[in-house]
Formats: sequence, C-alpha cells, structure tokens
Amino acid sequence: MTDTNKHQNLVLGIDTGGTFTDGVLLDYDSHQVLATQKSLTTKRDFAIGIENVIAGIQIEDPSLIKMVSVSTTLATNAIAEGKGKRVALFLVGYDRELIENFKMAHQFATPFHYYFQGGHNLYGQEKQALDLKGILEKTAQIKHEVDAIAVSSYFSPLNPEHENRAYEAISGVCNLPIVLGHQLSTKLGSVERATTAALNASLLAVLQTFIIAVKRAMEKRKIVAPLMVVRGDGTLMSDEFAARTPVETIHSGPAASAIGGRFLSQIDNAFVVDVGGTTTDLALIMDGAVTISEEGASVGGYATSVKAADLLSIGLGGDSQIRINRDGNIVVGPERVVPLAYLAEQHPIVKSQIRSLIRRTWEQSSPDWLEYWYLIREPGDEDLSKNPKHKQLLQILQNGPHALPDLLKKMSVFHPSQLGAEELLRQEFFGKAGFTPTDLLHCDERFVAWDAETSEMALKAFSHYLFKEPEEVQAMIWQTVTEKILKATIEFLTGQTLPEQEKSSADSWFFKNAATRDHPHLNTNFVLSYPVIGIGGPASMFLQKVSEILHVELVLPNHYQVANAVGAIAGSIMVEEEILIYPKLDRTGLDVLGYYVQTSSKRLEFEELQTALITAKETCREIALNAALRSGADQPQVVVEETSDGLDTYRIRAKAFGNPRLSG
Amino acid sequence: MMDLIGVDTQEAYQLLREQINTLALKPGAAINESELSSIFGLGSTPIREALKLLVHDQLVVVSRQGGLYVADLDPKDLKMLSEVRVGLESQAAGLAAQRATADHLLVMDALVLEQSKIKADDKEAWFDLDHKLHQAIAKASGNHYLAHSLEKYFGLSQRLWYLALPKLEFLSSAVHEHVRLVESIRSGDSQAAEIRMKEHVQGFYLKVQKLIEN
Repeated sequence: MTDTNKHQNLVLGIDTGGTFTDGVLLDYDSHQVLATQKSLTTKRDFAIGIENVIAGIQIEDPSLIKMVSVSTTLATNAIAEGKGKRVALFLVGYDRELIENFKMAHQFATPFHYYFQGGHNLYGQEKQALDLKGILEKTAQIKHEVDAIAVSSYFSPLNPEHENRAYEAISGVCNLPIVLGHQLSTKLGSVERATTAALNASLLAVLQTFIIAVKRAMEKRKIVAPLMVVRGDGTLMSDEFAARTPVETIHSGPAASAIGGRFLSQIDNAFVVDVGGTTTDLALIMDGAVTISEEGASVGGYATSVKAADLLSIGLGGDSQIRINRDGNIVVGPERVVPLAYLAEQHPIVKSQIRSLIRRTWEQSSPDWLEYWYLIREPGDEDLSKNPKHKQLLQILQNGPHALPDLLKKMSVFHPSQLGAEELLRQEFFGKAGFTPTDLLHCDERFVAWDAETSEMALKAFSHYLFKEPEEVQAMIWQTVTEKILKATIEFLTGQTLPEQEKSSADSWFFKNAATRDHPHLNTNFVLSYPVIGIGGPASMFLQKVSEILHVELVLPNHYQVANAVGAIAGSIMVEEEILIYPKLDRTGLDVLGYYVQTSSKRLEFEELQTALITAKETCREIALNAALRSGADQPQVVVEETSDGLDTYRIRAKAFGNPRLSG
Repeated sequence: MMDLIGVDTQEAYQLLREQINTLALKPGAAINESELSSIFGLGSTPIREALKLLVHDQLVVVSRQGGLYVADLDPKDLKMLSEVRVGLESQAAGLAAQRATADHLLVMDALVLEQSKIKADDKEAWFDLDHKLHQAIAKASGNHYLAHSLEKYFGLSQRLWYLALPKLEFLSSAVHEHVRLVESIRSGDSQAAEIRMKEHVQGFYLKVQKLIEN
C-alpha cells in the first residue's frame, strides 16, 4: 500500500494498449510514480480492462485521487474494424459527378451518403440555394435506419450557414445526434471534412458508452475527480468534450507514450520508441512537444482533418509471432500471439508436447507445431448454434489447447483460412499462442514471468528445424527485430521507402551494411541527432542494438515500462480556436466591399481589414480561453497567431493551454 | 449533468421518468424501492436519488406517513395546466404566423406529412411528432422564453397524452387540426392561428378530462 498521506495531488493515468491496459498513480507535484497496475486489454470491451486497473490500483484511500486521465485506442480500433455506428452523411453542395469520377466516394466512411444542392464558394457567397426540403425528406426516410447524421457543406469553414440551417431543420424532426463539419475542422479540404464528420458521428455512442463505464468504475472506488481523455496530439480534453468529439482521440495512445517519455526523462528533443506487446510506435519530441502531422491523421485507410501526432506504428512487439516464411527467412510479427511460456504455465500439457517435438523427424517438427489455439471464454448456446464449423472448433478447444497441425487434422482441413474463425478470434472466444520475443527473454532469464523451460524447448525445436544452434538462431531473430525497427526509423524520419530486403540495390546494400557493419573495407553509418527514449517492457532488449547502430544513447527513464500511462496525465489541457477572415465581394466579384470575420458560431462584417483582424484576435483569444477554463484548465495561457491563406484570406488561431485543475 | 449526479442515478432517473410518463407505473401507485431496484438491476442508492429528483419534478409524491407513490392525475391540476397551455400555445402560434421563416414552415410541413403516415398503434411516434410540431411552432415564435415555458408544460402533459392515445378518433382529428394550424401560420394570419391553436389544445384537455372523470 502506498502511504498517501504525504502526497497532496494524486492523479491516475490509464492507457489501453493492444495487449495491456496500464495504470499509474502519480504524485502530480513531485512526478513520483507511487503505484502501477497492469491488466490484460479486453478487446471486446475496453471498459473491462480499465475497470480492472481502477479496481486493482494499490491505494488506501482512492478518494484522494484528484484527476483520472485515459488514453484509448477505442476510436482507432472501432474505425479499423468498422465497429462504429451507422451514419447518414449529408453532402451539401458537393459535386457528385466529380467525386464519382475520381472514385472518392469510398473515402466518406459510410455507405449512406447523399447529395443535396447548396454550399458556398471561396468567398463565402452562396453557390446554390439550400435544398432543405430534400434534406427533410431524406431525414424522414432514413431516420430509423441510422444512429447519427453528419452534415458537411461546401466551404462551410468560410460560411457555415447551410450546415447550421440543416442542423436546425433536422433537429426539429428527429432525435438523432447531428454532427456538423465546420465544428470539427476549419480546413478547406471538403472530402476530409466530410469524412471527419461522418467518423465523428459514428463514434459518438461508442465513446459515450466508454466514458460512462469508466465513470462507473471510478464511482465504485469512490473516486470523485475530473475525468480527462487524451487527444491524438497528446493534449487533454474533458470527458464532456471527448464525448462530443470522439474523432479527436485517434492515435491518443502513441501520443501519450511520447509525452510520458519526455515527462519521465526530462529530455526535450528525442526520438521516442514505444515497444508494446502488439506494436512498436515511433514518434518525435521536439522542444518538449510531440510533433504533429500537418495533413491530418489517417486511420483505417480514411484521410481525416484531425490533428494528431506524427507517428509510425509497426506490427512488432514482445508478443509478435516468430515464424519462418516461404523463402525460409525468419519473420517477426505482425501477428500478435500469447507467448508459449504463458500458455504452458496455464496448461502443462503444452510443455510436454513441445518437449517431444525435438525428438521428431524434420518434417514433423515444423514451426507450425509451435502455434497453439486455446479457448479464452466458454461460448454460450447461442454462440454455438450459428455455425456448425465454429461449434466443432470451440468444442475441440474446450478439451484444451491444440497445436495448429493437430487442430487442422481434427477439423479435416488443410489450411486455417478454411475454418473462417476470424470473427471468433476477434470476439475473444479463442486465442492463439506461439513462439515470441517474450519467450526469447525467458531463455536469457532477462524477463521471467512464466515457464522458461517451455521457451527454451521451443527455441531448440525452432533451431532444430533450421539446422542451426539455438544461440545462432537467437542472434538471427534479434537481428531481424533490429533491422525491422531500424528500417521503420529511417522511413519515418525521411519519408522515403526502403526496398524489401530480399532485393539487391545500392540503398538496400547501404542499409544492410549499416545494420550489420560487416563489410571489410567500407563502413556506412546512420547517425541520429537525438537520443532514443525507450518505452514499454521489451524496450531495453529491442532497442539496445538499434541505438548503437544509430550512434546514440538509449535512455530508459525510471518507470519506462509504464510511460504510456504516465503520458495520459502528463499532457496539458489545450483548446484551439480558429477564425477565418476573408473579403466580402460585390456582385461582380471584382470589388472588395469589406471583410468577414467567421467564428465557429457567428459572422461579423467590417469595412477595414485591420479592424477585422484586431476584432478576430480578441474574439479568438476570448473563445479559446473560456473553452479551456470550461474544459478544466488551471490558469490557461493563450497564444494567438495570424497566418495568411493567400487570396486575401487570413486565419487567426488561438491556443489556450494549461495544466489540468485538480479537484478538492 | 454527468458530473453532478452519478451515471447510475441518471439512468435510474430516466428509466423511472419514462415509466411514469408512459403510464407503465400507474398514477397513484405505491412505490417500492427494493422492487424497482431489482427490476432495473440498479443499486438502491441510485434509485433513492432518482426518486428524490422525481419528487422535485412533482411526478412522485411523499405521503404523510413518509411512503412514496406516483402522483395522481388530479382533475384540478389538469384544469390549471390546461389554462396555462391554452394561453401560451395560442400566443406562440400567433407570433409564429408573423415571424415564421421558410425554413420553419418546411419543418412543420415535414412533421405533419410524417404524422399522416404513422401507424395508429405507434404511441411513441404519435407523442414524439406532436411534441415536435408544438416545438417547431414555439421556435418559429422567435421568443425563447416562451418556447422554454411551453416545453416545461408540455412535459407535464405527457401522461395525459398516453391516457388519451387509445381513443383513435382523437388522432385523425388531431392531424386535420395540425394541417389547418400550419396553413394559418403560413398565410401569416395571426388571429386565425391563435384561434386554431386554442381550439386544438382546449379540445385535447376536454377529452382527457372526460376520460379521467369516467
């Protein structure tokens, strides 16, 4: 138990990763980590993992906690897996022919998108009259078929009049939540704005359910404190704000890791690598802040206008499956499995089966025998009745874990794809276990949590199949891991794509030579300008050699294993407001009559540009400041800047930020 | 709201309010906390907190002995409610006739059209659309104080609505009345709009009164 008496400001940070949900209890003033808690992430319902962390965190008096902050991959996953709610997207003033000719319609992230007349031009003038009658007819037609409506009108950031009128009318005839494009983005890209609005609408209910579940878990432990949610750029927003703009939580997990790394190491310029169980995420910290992607985050193949951390995520982690591909090369990831050491600890039969593997003939000892399928939760009767193949599979697994070739034989199929079991896997009825880097760490006694003997035998079996010594194979696997991270690093920092390793070319030779350093006469080197900050349990093993090759120090700050959760509380609260100023033209479009100042809620008119800009700056500062205070920022600072879009159009941007105001 | 009261309390409040307003919990029925707690699968604390809020809404009443019961539908209250709504609703209709924009009228048209297509036994849809049409007129009045007050009294009338709904002839005449009402607003005839709204609302209360007295 933590002695909490000495600490005034306790905060709880939670990060839901692909494998683990981490919680960390921190003294906000001294930056001291007081307790940590890990729980398996429950993909089918993230709230369960979070509840376990909140229930398990070691603290005598939870009511002393003054803030809880969560970073979550919920939105990212829901989009990638198409698990958001059904959304109707109303496109006002969009050129249907143009969008269909350029095959952009699939970008809208919903099959239910409809075109209506209306929209504005580059000078905020009405392009066409708004077809409100058509919008109301369509609403009546679809309102029982969808869960939310998104509206995006052409050039709405310059003039949101049509979006606002559509909102008034639609909300007068139905109770569905309505999302407007101009409230989410002031960027002019019309397709991205529509996509962002549609995605946001599809996530509203998803995030709301999640927030309610977290609050319920807090109530159970009598935690009365503000709840914050991490944005994709690592800043914080209040739960109320997050429930309205769920799309802003895209990439919040990796962003929080980078911020946590900086917070714990106190290094302001660094390359941050977070090695999790499932993925490795790369980000850059410059001047103490995580770098932001200019063009907007892209998720599940959709380009959005959401501001998020610039990052690269690769399918490589402690629990990545180690396999041999068709060309006989060792591959690590991207599939994530449960380490064999863990499975054998739960099911001793696995241990004896793997032991017998070494004594078999070469054909009968392929690494396929190191992949196990096992039951995670008992299926209910209705789960079994749907599909006879699924029923047979789950019934076999009810008798215990099965090695893949054994299972295929019992199911009388040749290839796992014939089982069609992806949905059962996703629903976590069964899981896969296999040979992983975590097993290698068990062999070396670098990390021993479960049955190390099984890991050693698995390595022997794997090596046996390759006709090599275990030490040599181990070195080869780590080299594969190192090269994979190195390749990702270079591609992330340069924006260039390196050729596949099998192909021989000058750049792949250069890369390979820098990675292996084995040419007798010529050295090639990569030299990184900043240290590498390692985050996550496997970081020390995965990144030591990478940083050597990059000629920099590997910094592993205290508590680097849970820096992701620290990052969830280390960010500041930020609110950004943008105002557009553009000329008011006469009917001929030649003479400038004055300037419009378009805020998110109203439009003002001025004769002189200077007065327009001054008013815009004052208004912008005030809106941002009030929103930051409302979001729970303590004495927020405001920075106002002016940029030009060309065409006599200007943007005033105010950022208000401050530390979260703690309760009590 | 989400921060001021617990999420379970909020859920209990919404569920109970819905039960009372749709007459699933009958007027005058005694309330048993532990029974409600087991029906809704919520703890006794959120149920108790929710009941406090409902007492404040005047939908739940505390007896002299300290027991709780669902507020009765009292003919006297009904009369008072009718007086207030007849006055305010017709004022709103009169103002709407002067101020309604083309957008407002499109919304009213859409609602009346939808109403004409509803299945007779879809009680929720009937209530919802009638509510929305009255909201649309209140909005078109351009006076948000008026709209706010109307919203409150409409809410108090919800139980009466559910009481009147089984009388089918009332529904078809209501659609007819709505059509004429919207027409007079469109033509800008304040006086006609006021009179039609007055008749419409008064007619509703007279029907409910008969039902209660029987």
